[in-house]
Amino acid sequence: MSEALQPRPIRSLKDFPSEHLLAGGTPMCAGCGGLQVLHEVNDVLGANTVFVNAAGCMTLLASYPYTPFRGSWLYTSMASAPAGAQGVRDALDILIARKRLAPEEDLRAVVLTGDGSAYGMGLSATSAAIERGLDFLYLCYDNEGYGNTGQQASGATPHGARTATSTRGHGGAKKDLFAIWAAHRPAYAATVIGSEPLDLAKKVQKAAALKGPRLILALAPCPPGWDFDARDTVEIGRLAVKTGLWPLREYENGRIAHTRVPHPRVPVEEYLARQGRFRHLFEPRRDEEAIAAIQAEVDAYWRAIG
Amino acid sequence: MSRELLTGNAAAAWGARLADVDYVPAFPITPQTEIIETLARWYEGGEAPGRLVMLESEHSMVTAAAAAAATGVRVFSATSSQGLLYAMEMIYAVPGWRAPFVLVNVSRALATPITLEPDHSDVLAARDSGFLQIHCANCQEVLDSILIAYRLAEHARVRLPAIVNLDGFYLSFTREPVKIPAAAEARAFLPPFAPGEVEFRASKPVSRAVAALGSSPYSYFRYQTHLAALEALGAYEEVARDFERRFGRWHPAVECYRSEDAEVAFLMIGAFSTKARDAVDRLREKGVAAGLVRPRLLRPFPQAALRSALLGRRAVAVVDQNLSMGSGGVLAGELASALYGCRGAPMIARFVGGLGGRDITAEEFEAMATEARAAAETGEAPAPRLLYTAAELREVRKLQAIALAGPREAGGRS
Amino acid sequence: MFRVRFHGRGGQGAKTASQILSSALFLEGFEVQDAPRYGAERRGAAMFAYVRAARAPIQERGVIARPDLVVAIDDTLATMPAAAVLQGVAQDTVVLIQSAEPAEAWRPRLNAPCELLVLAPPPGAAAQAEAPFGGVRCAGAAARLLGVVGRASLERALEAELAGLGERLIEQNRAHALAGFDALAPHAGRVRGDAPRAAEAPPDWIAVPLDDAAIAAPDIHATGTSAASPTGLWRVLRPVIDYEHCKRCVWVCGTYCPDSAIRAGEDGRPNIDYDHCKGCMVCVTVCPPHAIHAVPEREAA
Repeated sequence: MSEALQPRPIRSLKDFPSEHLLAGGTPMCAGCGGLQVLHEVNDVLGANTVFVNAAGCMTLLASYPYTPFRGSWLYTSMASAPAGAQGVRDALDILIARKRLAPEEDLRAVVLTGDGSAYGMGLSATSAAIERGLDFLYLCYDNEGYGNTGQQASGATPHGARTATSTRGHGGAKKDLFAIWAAHRPAYAATVIGSEPLDLAKKVQKAAALKGPRLILALAPCPPGWDFDARDTVEIGRLAVKTGLWPLREYENGRIAHTRVPHPRVPVEEYLARQGRFRHLFEPRRDEEAIAAIQAEVDAYWRAIG
Repeated sequence: MSRELLTGNAAAAWGARLADVDYVPAFPITPQTEIIETLARWYEGGEAPGRLVMLESEHSMVTAAAAAAATGVRVFSATSSQGLLYAMEMIYAVPGWRAPFVLVNVSRALATPITLEPDHSDVLAARDSGFLQIHCANCQEVLDSILIAYRLAEHARVRLPAIVNLDGFYLSFTREPVKIPAAAEARAFLPPFAPGEVEFRASKPVSRAVAALGSSPYSYFRYQTHLAALEALGAYEEVARDFERRFGRWHPAVECYRSEDAEVAFLMIGAFSTKARDAVDRLREKGVAAGLVRPRLLRPFPQAALRSALLGRRAVAVVDQNLSMGSGGVLAGELASALYGCRGAPMIARFVGGLGGRDITAEEFEAMATEARAAAETGEAPAPRLLYTAAELREVRKLQAIALAGPREAGGRS
Repeated sequence: MFRVRFHGRGGQGAKTASQILSSALFLEGFEVQDAPRYGAERRGAAMFAYVRAARAPIQERGVIARPDLVVAIDDTLATMPAAAVLQGVAQDTVVLIQSAEPAEAWRPRLNAPCELLVLAPPPGAAAQAEAPFGGVRCAGAAARLLGVVGRASLERALEAELAGLGERLIEQNRAHALAGFDALAPHAGRVRGDAPRAAEAPPDWIAVPLDDAAIAAPDIHATGTSAASPTGLWRVLRPVIDYEHCKRCVWVCGTYCPDSAIRAGEDGRPNIDYDHCKGCMVCVTVCPPHAIHAVPEREAA
């Protein structure tokens, strides 16, 4: 196996491989925060992976005869990707146990899903896979809406964000998928973001070394869906962390820890004002109340952390 | 080989056991549940080496089944009715993966209204999915058909998943004597699954079930699944002959009972077809040349066999235990399309019956034969008929009276 | 019948242009049909939208094989084979390119067998990643070329199609659409719309053979084949590394680049794979010594 297929430990940003597993030429949008995460995660995990895909933006990553993967991929459906991972994992276990497959032929099962499936249609299948103790990684690129169909509101859309189905700002609130996972007491759960690759690498490496259900939940800044210039993907991502809107945290052994505590926290409006989906909070006149409410919620979260 | 009393569900479990399946993703639904309970008991007790995993829905169950088959193990699963329909997205998706496995469907009528009793509307909703379909008339056929279905599904020229169908209650919960082949004989007939290229493994990366956005590749892949299903016609004959050679039981794609010289033939599938056999014998005793033509294989559709069985007959009474809303019985339409324009095509009389487990009496079979013959006599196709009596409507009126009485008593708001 | 194709990149308003033109023709009493066509590609990728208009009900469907008018909203598409701007162009077709360069410069480049006109882009647009208002400008120009759309219908169509944008933006769009309409005044009615339907060869039907299941499923056994997709063509801005100031910290730009388009060369310097760089400019923003610069593609190429 070539060096590129065999991941090496990453302790600093310098350790990230300069050759990448994921090939270019994918149909993802320029500046896609989800693709950024996938390529970082893939480089950390190595090629011996089967990505079991749930319908979403990344469905089109593999489109006959083009695939960016050096490892394997299986498209399933929007609702049942964890069940696909279950079938693959169980089959590999059976084959290895019955000596019909050499252990070095084993693969890591990784569900690849957007927030539409993860927070909604696929939640039942995910919950059940966790309760069964399925040995799998669950990688969610959360771009806070049904991005592949033009950014309609999903269970991950934050309060106040304009979407194609909430043109005056989303009335609901973003679900805390990390907490939903943690309530299942999985082997591991973490939130990450592509703009913090070292934090991401440490968590993915930790997850890779464990067995059982493991969540990697990545906020995925989305230039067309969130309405910002593609060049700002990293900057928007960093602001999500610095404002405290996207807490970087992990769950392990029943405890939740924050891997980054932004201090001092940047006011949320610096994050909001950079995105067209929140423009109505600033134009034609500032909606002080709405901005303050979003700030208050972030402040309350971090106050509760202590 | 032993001969034991088994329900259709137990026969299905035995079929899976003798097929030496590796993996059973499962989800309970009446009247199928006994199948997975039986397998679970065997696996937990170490009586058989399989692994059963409970999924949280049939949609997930079929996904896991196909994913495991695509990873190279032999997979079995079972469902029924609303469960099959809940899985329908995947029922249509996974045949294109070309990863063979067997799914037993225990037919149960569909909502609305909800019922536990059988008819065939559930399995016929999967008719165009790419799953092969074998329909059973008795408990022995259930066991045998599962072994045959694996050979067929895994056939090198086919490589498609297969449904083996049995009627709820009339087979699922009904005990009959069933010959259980010895494990070694079953294994000689059905060797271990050879997945070929169908595998996920580290040394052979593959991106599977990918999108095909252009119409040329899309049409090609869809049509390949169709061609593979057609190929299953010849493969079925080959497999069924081998089964007969080894076990002495002949399960043709289309069963023809006293139909060679019949003036009028019944056409139907499933458990009630044994009642039709009975009716044929009685009609023959009365001097009516009756026969039965029963497709066991419904997908691929055995068009040539049906033509050779029915061309030259004067009339055929199609008994559809299903309902296509706004059209009528599914089988009648299928048969008409197979016979249309052929010289010697019989008059087709269409009957819908047996909905929601309704019995079909011997007298009704005789009456259907009479109507079909009369139609052939006049040369005019009769209007499709629902097998439903005045007494049944009176019963419904009584129930309606109770159901509708409530608001009147509560204050006369009507 | 008029058959018009607008070619643009995802996000440049080709669909809107087709709808404005179609609406304007409808207001003039024509039977019309309009539709966009795009595949899996996203913003920046070549796409097109088309309009049919006739005095009688339109029975044709699908993409236009033999256009009367082809409009390239973005001139970088004109020479891009994948964009197929000149597909089906015949002698009586008019090709309109929105470009800062004159028609004389384009004629030898395209070598098209038909009339070629140029519409000057909005002022200052050349330096922008996406020329704003380029689409509506082309809609106005196309309307004038057909010669059957009046100014009032164009304005009303634009207002109807852009109703959700708010007054200020509608006003700006109107100005650009009318500028396009006026700019093509010397060529009013140049598109005749009486071309015959493109004849095709009789079908060469075959019986598709049954293939082995190993190749008859949509499975890709090769790896990394997406590299054959030239997504670099989506780019309108090009990141260019100034190697004098580059600190060779390729793990920074190489890791943040979403498209795996930056790798270390043999000398340890980062190399940008322009075949696949979609021009998001993330590398420009993350480069610690600010040694990567955004250069308009048409200047860099």
